[in-house]
Amino acid sequence: MTELAIRGLSKRFGDVAAVDGFELEIGDHELISLLGPSGCGKTTTLRCIAGFEEPTAGHILFDDRDVVGLPPENRNIGMVFQNYALFPHMTVRQNLAFGLEMRSVPKSEMAERIARVLETVQLGDLGERYPRQLSGGQQQRIALARAMVVEPSILLLDEPLANLDAKLREEMRFFVRSLQKRIGITTVYVTHDQAEAMVISDRIVVMFDGHIHQVGAPDEIYSRPVSREVANFIGLTNFVEGRVQGADAAAGECRLETAVGTLRCAYPETLDVGREVALIVRPEAISLSAAAPAESGTNAIPGRVGERYFLGNITGYRISCADDLLLQVQDDPWASFDVGDEVWCTFDAAHAWIIPD
Amino acid sequence: MTDPARVQSTGTARTASARPSRRRWNPTHFLVFPTVGLLVAFLVFPYLNMVVMSFRNPSTSQVFAPGFTVGNYLDAILDTDLYYLEILWDTMVLGAATTAICLALGFPVAYHLARTSSRFKSVLYAFVLSPLLVGVVVRCYGWIIILGNNDGLINTTLMDLGLIDSPMTLMYNTFGVSVGLVHIFLPFMILPLLGAIQSIDPALEEAAQSLGASRLRTMLRVVFPLSLPGVQAGTVLVFVLTISSYVIPILLGGFSVMIMPTLVVQQLMDAMLWPFGAALAFILSIAGALVVYVYFRLTSRAIRGIA
Repeated sequence: MTELAIRGLSKRFGDVAAVDGFELEIGDHELISLLGPSGCGKTTTLRCIAGFEEPTAGHILFDDRDVVGLPPENRNIGMVFQNYALFPHMTVRQNLAFGLEMRSVPKSEMAERIARVLETVQLGDLGERYPRQLSGGQQQRIALARAMVVEPSILLLDEPLANLDAKLREEMRFFVRSLQKRIGITTVYVTHDQAEAMVISDRIVVMFDGHIHQVGAPDEIYSRPVSREVANFIGLTNFVEGRVQGADAAAGECRLETAVGTLRCAYPETLDVGREVALIVRPEAISLSAAAPAESGTNAIPGRVGERYFLGNITGYRISCADDLLLQVQDDPWASFDVGDEVWCTFDAAHAWIIPD
Repeated sequence: MTDPARVQSTGTARTASARPSRRRWNPTHFLVFPTVGLLVAFLVFPYLNMVVMSFRNPSTSQVFAPGFTVGNYLDAILDTDLYYLEILWDTMVLGAATTAICLALGFPVAYHLARTSSRFKSVLYAFVLSPLLVGVVVRCYGWIIILGNNDGLINTTLMDLGLIDSPMTLMYNTFGVSVGLVHIFLPFMILPLLGAIQSIDPALEEAAQSLGASRLRTMLRVVFPLSLPGVQAGTVLVFVLTISSYVIPILLGGFSVMIMPTLVVQQLMDAMLWPFGAALAFILSIAGALVVYVYFRLTSRAIRGIA
């Protein structure tokens, strides 16, 4: 199969840099998501890989072969578009045959490969239908089948699930994921939906304003974000501003001086004393108790329950602490604190993380 | 046993009594009367008059002689030299050729106009419409200056440059007429094509390319088939306009390019053979309508599923 390497990719539209200095190596069989808000350059990057946009600078290597300058039809890619882009004047079978005809695949082999791919996407009996006679989910799977039947070196997906309803979208995440693993094709997946990226990806590339902020596995992106933007974009986050009081890289711990007292955090690097940083802690890492914790090793912040909401699997609280600090907390659904209750928010140093600004 | 006929009749009776009462008193419907009146007075009546005329007996001293005949039609169709049928055939060929040339020239322009994001798009659009902004006679004289057989711009330039020894015949032949016809009717091809191509999702072209199709094959396999509704509308428009055009063929072809409209006017105005001229006019109309009908039947099969 194919390894994909992107070196120093930049794309400018007039004065605007849509993508700037994009560096990434994507391994064989790997599924990489480009994740970010709209306008962050993820789609432009994908279109450069596909060949629909000419990069302003940089190289795109398919197995060490630079494809910049090659037209899309000579790159042997498979692409799935957000609106599926199935040819409306062709039946499902003709849609699937299109790429094979362009490659002059013999008729008998063509029929066999189409039958096989229809089987793979579990739509074996829909070959003679027209796209408009299919449901959204079926169209989506045919679009996937059409991209894969040509056995491309790279599979590119541009928000492929964005037009499906929520229930089907969640279903299709697993379908796409297992299909990609089974075929083992190198895949780049563009999405703005963080949950989708987390479920589907081996690694996630988080982008803002044309720049890569972080590349990592879903858990790494979630628990050890490198910037405020990443922390904010992926899930709910509490920020506590503070100043480094002491950092011990050997012990992997850092102490912060904050408006709500001294907080401890697991952090592997040494930071200068006095440096202004933000501590982040996820809502589910905080637990609530009525009494101050006996243990001295954990972080504890006193506060008052401002709001409470019930989501079924969790109960959420917004806790007002000193210095206008508002902590979002997600606790067991059966934990019962009422609005106005005085509570202690406690969390382990291991569940906190530091973003050096 | 229930009587289905009665059930049905009461059903229709109820809807019939419930519905039209509101429709009958809607005063906005009266607004169509001026148009309908104009059409009846100045189009339907003259047409009917011509139909009647085409069946009248010819006369040398009057417009027509008393009595009716089908002789005018028979004279035209059964003429042993096939003179009239040949002119009819030439007219259809000129129509088909002009249509084909307009399609070939118009499609790339329409495609470009549909897909460009240039800020000169409106200028291009104005260029496309420009043939319609100048009167037909003025435009034809322009072409005479350019194409003239002896002192036309093209001939004098080429002779001055020594590229040709004697002037080429660019006018008063089918070539000159075709140039004039294509020029004026091109917008009627481009505008329907433009609408059709604009409604094609550009992602479809990218999908075709991602699957390995070159620009040309993307055009042939995706863009052109999906623009067929526009192709159909544009070709029918240009064909019908061409086979009924008179001024351009006369000015650029004279009487050396004989087509049906020229012939009809000749019979009516010059020879004063009103019954025969009327019959020729209807032969042209019926032949044109037949061609369009057959064309629609053939192309509609290909279009089904797109529109």
